[in-house]
Amino acid sequence: MRKIKKDTVLGYCFILPAVIYMLVFIGYPIIYNWLISMQDVTAKTLGSPVRDFIGLDNFITIFGDATFRASLVHTFVYTIGCLVFQFLFGFIFALFFTKKFSLAKPIRGFIVISWMLPVTVTALVFKFMYADNGIINTILLNLHLIKEPLGWLLDGKMAMVGLIIANSWVGIPFNMLLLTTGLNEIPAEIYEASSIDGANKIQQLFRLTIPLLKQTILSALVLGFVLTFKVFDLVYVMTGGGPVDSTEVLSTYSYKLSFQMFHFGEGAAVANVLFVCLLAVALVYLHVSSSEE
Amino acid sequence: MKKTAALLSISLLAATMAPMMVSAEEASPEGRTEITFWHYMSEDKEGKYVNQAVEEFNNSQDEIWVNAQYLPREELMKQYTIGVVSGELPDVGMVDNPDHNSYASMGVFEDITDLFNSTEGCNFLEGSIGSCYYEGKLYGVPWGNNCLGLFYNKDLLDAAGVEVPTNWSELEAACEALTTDTTYGLAISAIGNEEGTFQYMPWLYSAGGSVTDMTGDGAVKSMEYLYGLIEKGYMSKEVIKWTQADAEKQFASGQAAMMINGPWQFDGIANDAPDLNYGVTLVPKADDGDYASVLGGENIGICAGTEHLDEAWTFITWITSAEKSADICSSIGRYSPRSDVNIQEMFADDPLNSALAAAMDGAVSRGPSPVWPELSAAVYTAEQEIFTGQKDIPTALADAQATIDGLGME
Repeated sequence: MRKIKKDTVLGYCFILPAVIYMLVFIGYPIIYNWLISMQDVTAKTLGSPVRDFIGLDNFITIFGDATFRASLVHTFVYTIGCLVFQFLFGFIFALFFTKKFSLAKPIRGFIVISWMLPVTVTALVFKFMYADNGIINTILLNLHLIKEPLGWLLDGKMAMVGLIIANSWVGIPFNMLLLTTGLNEIPAEIYEASSIDGANKIQQLFRLTIPLLKQTILSALVLGFVLTFKVFDLVYVMTGGGPVDSTEVLSTYSYKLSFQMFHFGEGAAVANVLFVCLLAVALVYLHVSSSEE
Repeated sequence: MKKTAALLSISLLAATMAPMMVSAEEASPEGRTEITFWHYMSEDKEGKYVNQAVEEFNNSQDEIWVNAQYLPREELMKQYTIGVVSGELPDVGMVDNPDHNSYASMGVFEDITDLFNSTEGCNFLEGSIGSCYYEGKLYGVPWGNNCLGLFYNKDLLDAAGVEVPTNWSELEAACEALTTDTTYGLAISAIGNEEGTFQYMPWLYSAGGSVTDMTGDGAVKSMEYLYGLIEKGYMSKEVIKWTQADAEKQFASGQAAMMINGPWQFDGIANDAPDLNYGVTLVPKADDGDYASVLGGENIGICAGTEHLDEAWTFITWITSAEKSADICSSIGRYSPRSDVNIQEMFADDPLNSALAAAMDGAVSRGPSPVWPELSAAVYTAEQEIFTGQKDIPTALADAQATIDGLGME
């Protein structure tokens, strides 16, 4: 009995540095942000040590703000759009490149480059490619698929599609990598056994691969959701939230409110809405993955 | 493979981060008081002249050592905001003149009213120093001025047999004659930030409007006119995402026969298209209106909490003195904001600058007001809504006016 207690204490000692680290570097900013979001922080009060506590006023203000509600919707549209795209293609690529053919590995390596590039670079490249006389319009025109250049980033809906495509280009290799790892863990014997039992490829995919990959798929989707939902740099560089707020997402709107309009309290409130959404997803993930075990 | 990948991504990261903060000078010599000066004159363009001037100052005396640091404009503004909370502000800082009031209200800058009044030889143009006042107190002095004009490609105009346009009808006719499959008549910046508002204001004011009266005739007429240019295909739809630097690229590459831009672009055009045969004139006026231009430029001030107030002021009075101001401003494509520098005389044999400097007379200032960023946002948002066809002109302008009314300006 005594021994167990000693072990427990020792165990806590081991996690203590991590807990302190979390409290200082992760906990403090989060708590500070919640404080700001409940205070009246504007240009005039930013520097003063005492600010009025206004409760949930900032939250009431932002939920009454059409741009905020729109950016909440945009963030979900963007995230779900990206997830569907990048997961589907990532899965297809993963299945394809786990096949043993020459060059499979080097090509898989090359695909990952798009994931390693700084997002700002990707955003700028796509911005150029989407231009009126950019390469995408040129190709589509020459293939006679379109009659006039498409205004990729000039129209609200198109700009959102443009962002989703650009982000998927980055997200596909990420999904591919995760799913490939999962696929490699499935023993080949299972497939042999099932083909002897007369299962065809489609049946193998839906009855074996996908059920066995369930945990990996769940992680890929949750990680993908979190990474996509908090997008900032891609949107900021490619569209700046425009044209006319049509691609404004929570992070860019929070930035705009804080650093351009100097409504720091409202900016923090928007950031907290973002935080709550991500927290909800993380909790669902924890619940699902622990109940699986 | 993993290691290489990690190395590669780290070096890529480092490469993108490196240009963020560039320190111009070596460590300060012993015994001198070091002061830091943050500015956003980019290192490869105007920044080199700023560094030269700072070096000259450092060599001219042995008491003060100025350490000049370049940060991109947006980054610098963010650093000011963060600095108010963290207390990490430089001794001297630069700010875009329409933003000066906001940052003064935030407490970024020191009140220098008394220093200014007790110093002789601080002669600045009223319109320029106006933007440094907040609630009756002075928070800085003007660094350089600029304004907007019409840049035109002489060769393209000659080939089309078009005279340099002076009013809106002539401009539209010129655009019609100049627009081809590969060239637009005119390029402007109508991007969704301060640059968009800055570029819209000459049209608005020439038509008799004002940023506080967005439902008036002036606003309606100017929006109708500009949107008309887009609808008729004389101006690219992409103007809504062009910065002024992007407009310059269009003009320099011959994809736009004319553009609206300012004197800081002369250097850029000389680099991008050294042989471009172009001229500059005033922004065309409304057919029944007057010429209008907007006052652009930067101010510098002493940042709050500095321990070296006097040294900082010594540096500011030196670098904004008549001689230095004239010198630096002409190098960086600005006009000296001092009342004792005769700009027209200075540019007597420089047709481009003298033509553009003429637009400085009566250039409209933006604000000064601590809520300028929000007012400006209402204006450029309306412009973007109209140019993208998202709202019709009366609706977009009425919405903008509603926002402006809500700002509680006097």
